[in-house]
Amino acid sequence: MADLHIEQQADYWLARFTAMASPCELLMEVANRTEAEALAQCAYDEAKRIERTFSRYRDDNIIHQINTSSGCPIEVDEEMANLLDYADHCYQLSEGRFDITSGLLRQAWKFDGSDNLPETALIERLRLSVSWKKVIWQRPFITLPKGMEIDLGGIGKEYAVDSTTNLLRQKTAASLLINFGGDLAVTHARKSGNGWCVAIDHPDRCGSSSGQEIEIKQGALATSGDAQRYLLKDGIRYSHILDPTTGWPVAETPRSVTVHAANCTEAGILATLSMLHGRGAEAFLKQQQVTSWVLR
Amino acid sequence: MQLKNRRLRQQLSLATCALLTSIPGQASADWEVDTGILAYSETDRVRAVKSIITAKRITDETTTSVTLLVDTLTGASPNGATAATTAQTFTTASGNSYTTAANERPLRDFRDTRSAISASWEKVLNRLFRLKLGADVSTEDDYDSVGLNVNLSRDFNQRLTTLTIGAAVTQDTITPSGGTPVEGSATDGATISTQSSEESKQTTDLLLGVTQVLSRTTLTQLNYSYSLANGYMSDPYKIVSEVDAVTGDTTGYQYEKRPDQRIRQSINWTTAHHLTEDVIHFSYRYFWDDWGIDSHTFDLKYRYELGAGHYLQPQVRYYMQSAADFYRHSLVDSETLPRYVSSDQRLGEMSSYTIGLKYGFPLFTDGNLSLRLAYMQQSGDSSPSDAIGSQKQVDLFPTLEAVIINVNFNLPF
Amino acid sequence: MRQLLLLLALLSGLLTGCAVDVKPWQRGLLAEQKMQLVADPMEQFFDEHIFFSKEAASGGKGVGGGGCGCN
Repeated sequence: MADLHIEQQADYWLARFTAMASPCELLMEVANRTEAEALAQCAYDEAKRIERTFSRYRDDNIIHQINTSSGCPIEVDEEMANLLDYADHCYQLSEGRFDITSGLLRQAWKFDGSDNLPETALIERLRLSVSWKKVIWQRPFITLPKGMEIDLGGIGKEYAVDSTTNLLRQKTAASLLINFGGDLAVTHARKSGNGWCVAIDHPDRCGSSSGQEIEIKQGALATSGDAQRYLLKDGIRYSHILDPTTGWPVAETPRSVTVHAANCTEAGILATLSMLHGRGAEAFLKQQQVTSWVLR
Repeated sequence: MQLKNRRLRQQLSLATCALLTSIPGQASADWEVDTGILAYSETDRVRAVKSIITAKRITDETTTSVTLLVDTLTGASPNGATAATTAQTFTTASGNSYTTAANERPLRDFRDTRSAISASWEKVLNRLFRLKLGADVSTEDDYDSVGLNVNLSRDFNQRLTTLTIGAAVTQDTITPSGGTPVEGSATDGATISTQSSEESKQTTDLLLGVTQVLSRTTLTQLNYSYSLANGYMSDPYKIVSEVDAVTGDTTGYQYEKRPDQRIRQSINWTTAHHLTEDVIHFSYRYFWDDWGIDSHTFDLKYRYELGAGHYLQPQVRYYMQSAADFYRHSLVDSETLPRYVSSDQRLGEMSSYTIGLKYGFPLFTDGNLSLRLAYMQQSGDSSPSDAIGSQKQVDLFPTLEAVIINVNFNLPF
Repeated sequence: MRQLLLLLALLSGLLTGCAVDVKPWQRGLLAEQKMQLVADPMEQFFDEHIFFSKEAASGGKGVGGGGCGCN
């Protein structure tokens, strides 16, 4: 595989590839290259499968089929149905703040670090087509009104981490760390009894450590942050976290929130929901008793 | 944004779990266990307790299922003789004797345990074809049965129509305790002549069915069944009374004798209709055979949803049949003995109704428990016009009443 | 026999005449367990067994299931 690189590190094997527009890594405590290659291939295939199946940038998958259905019901398979059920749950639990139809708002908001705020009229027009409530979801049939779009970007990468972890767990008893663009999971502690060490990137200094190092023995980490994606106007920083109920960015969000949870999907949704709390992010995380690291 | 929900995290965890435990790639086999127990009790007659457990393994393409059944029967069953105005004494083929009081229908005590195991395997052959293979074995003290069956279904017409063909073969072996009495032979209550220690029966069943989606709320099915049985079909424990042509008093008995071939056919129509919540099930069967029996069966169930998965389901079933050509409540001792004869009420003209009520509700996460109580009554002509003398004073077709209690539990995991 | 012909006529009507059009996504209700023609297989099994041992008529819903000495 041209873009799958495997190399031996001090006491583990490292595989790297790119999927879902993110650098992906697989750290494996295995004995030899053959074993490492087999696991890496499996992770690569699964990451690519999920990218292929759920990317909204392709025209040959179920997301495209739904987004171009013009109000016709579409039958989806088990996996997509489970994801839609999950999205539905998150929509209910977040009282509408987590909404997989909110991607359309990005047509108005271009978070390029500039000071170009969108026209209010445009936001209001787009908001008419943003609401999971308008979608008829009767498993296994989804009916998306014309003009609306769904996007699983908010959960896809974390789901890919968990799905890959599950697959690899069945293939090996070795300790593994699966990292897809900063959202990661480990299978269990390493042979030494220690966890894997992970550094949290500082949002302002891409690639460089913020100085926070986390040792992770089990479970998963997911990070939600605005990194380079924000707008700055009249001294107000507009984060890329949009509240679908207003169509506007959430004010005073942390620069990044990293959450530890049993699996990556759960960590991801907790990080996302805490960002939506803006100034109250830390209070929310505390109230829900979430192990987290918040950078402001 | 302020989320007030303190249990949000738990709810998110549950939702995430639901999503991740169903990730494909993990062995996507589901197990399902069904258990059921049924108690059947006739007033002063047969009591039966039937227990079943079925384990099913369901994958995307195949369903494998194994069923175990244990059926315990105790009590008394009519021996075929009619009630008489005097006490009657009977001797069984195994040498025991029993006495029935005057004016009572003679009943023979019995006890039997049936154990059976069956297995089936169903596979989706391609998008439109499904194949199902099955085998079963059953054993009782005096009866053994083995069978094989196959079903093939194909969808047509954008899956609105499904055609099914099925076939089954069954081999039964009958080994009554004390041997098989000579069919049609007289029995004086003391000596018994046996024709063999073992008899057998072979049955071939064929089925042709059409299932049709009629609307988004209605599904219907029409089946035609044909069954050919060859071999021993008499009941080795049943006798027929012989009465005096003038007084009607019992003068003797003879073992029953049924034909050694039977062709049964039926048309079965079943339909299910969905109201907004509730569901109505209706079925009608017309059955006929070459023994001269015609029968009609109507069955209506109404599933009334109470909410949150709880439901009540009343059921009404009505059944009627005409008599077999050789059915006689008794013989007249002066007449030429007919070629075939049986006084088994199950071959006589009769009707039966059953009323029942079922209550079902969810138990554990995905389980379902249902409780059912039903009452059945079967009746025929108690005072037939051909009764002679003292026969007019006795009940020649006693009404049968039975109560059924049934508990079923289904648990997928 | 008359009943048989009547039912066969109804059946051929289903297969040819009556233009039924129920799209796959309109079949959600039909897929529910309670809408299956045998909604409760366990109950069906018990009932068939009881009525088989008490009545002359039997069968009609399927083939197989095993013989017993109760009739």
